[in-house]
Amino acid sequence: MLSARKIVAVLKAQKISHVVGLPDNGSRCLFEVLITEETIEVIPVTREGEAMALAAGLYLGGARPLVLIQNTGFLETGDAFRGTVYNMGVPLVMLIGYRGYASMDPGAERVDTAATFLEPTLRAWGVPYGLMHTDDDLDCIDEAFATAERTSLPAAAILVNETV
Amino acid sequence: MLDKYWCLRRLHERRKDEVIVTCMSTAMPWAKLSDGPLDFASVDSAMGHAADFAYGLAIAQPDRRVIVLNGDGSMLMCLGTMVTMAQRPAPNFSMVICENGTYEVTGNQSVPGADKIDYAALALASGLMQATAVESENDFEQHLDALFAGKGPQVFIWKIAPTDEGAPRPSRPILERARSLRQALVGS
Repeated sequence: MLSARKIVAVLKAQKISHVVGLPDNGSRCLFEVLITEETIEVIPVTREGEAMALAAGLYLGGARPLVLIQNTGFLETGDAFRGTVYNMGVPLVMLIGYRGYASMDPGAERVDTAATFLEPTLRAWGVPYGLMHTDDDLDCIDEAFATAERTSLPAAAILVNETV
Repeated sequence: MLDKYWCLRRLHERRKDEVIVTCMSTAMPWAKLSDGPLDFASVDSAMGHAADFAYGLAIAQPDRRVIVLNGDGSMLMCLGTMVTMAQRPAPNFSMVICENGTYEVTGNQSVPGADKIDYAALALASGLMQATAVESENDFEQHLDALFAGKGPQVFIWKIAPTDEGAPRPSRPILERARSLRQALVGS
């Protein structure tokens, strides 16, 4: 489990101004805490590709956005990711939920392809990422920010377990 | 039907320091009129995402008017953006949907539903408070003030005749244009 409040504390320390995304079962607690946070505006979008474009606009306009989506949503962003945050050199950090992670265990009844495609897709895009299983892994978020800043390109921290 | 080039010239004559985001068949005609840091062609970008990109700019820059000249084909690719705009209003934002009924830069193939779509109705049904079809030069002049100064988010549907613009080719790479825009807006 991952503490939503601890994640929000990290985002506040990173001076995030906007979180753009779509909730899922794993991130819903995080969204619930974010909505109560006065220093961060949550902007819900109707589809994850919008989150990328909107975040690119926010960044070029001087804001400090973060994208919060599930792996299914990241797969959907495809060309939106390429044409906005990637091509425009936006140092965006994405928190991405890892739906189906457990389904990749040997012997699992059903494999969720949203899980099997996530890491190969991130690697294909050249997106550096870290996996967060517990609160002990939350420094992945700061590492993602440092990497994004250094490269002027997106980086990710993956929410392997649900937020509580 | 409006002449696109006339509309762009009138927009240029009126424009001061607003951010203008263009895409596809307005990108190069607009660039011939104005190609500075506050002019951003959403080209070599993501299809269908000029409007939401421009909306992010508007939210980040609440004291500056942001105007996006979106294509109808582009709008269809991301209709949900109108809902996103409605639920998080940006008073400094105006969107023009340049409705010519075609994918002009690929040879003027018809967009799906070209003879059926009512973009104004779609905008209002999405929760936006204002959406206006602009079909004549008189209409255009009547709504020009609102485009620049009305309380947004506003949507104007310019009913324009198709032309023969080819694939847009901006003079600078998108990374350079993005950095130039940010520099102009933020200073870094």
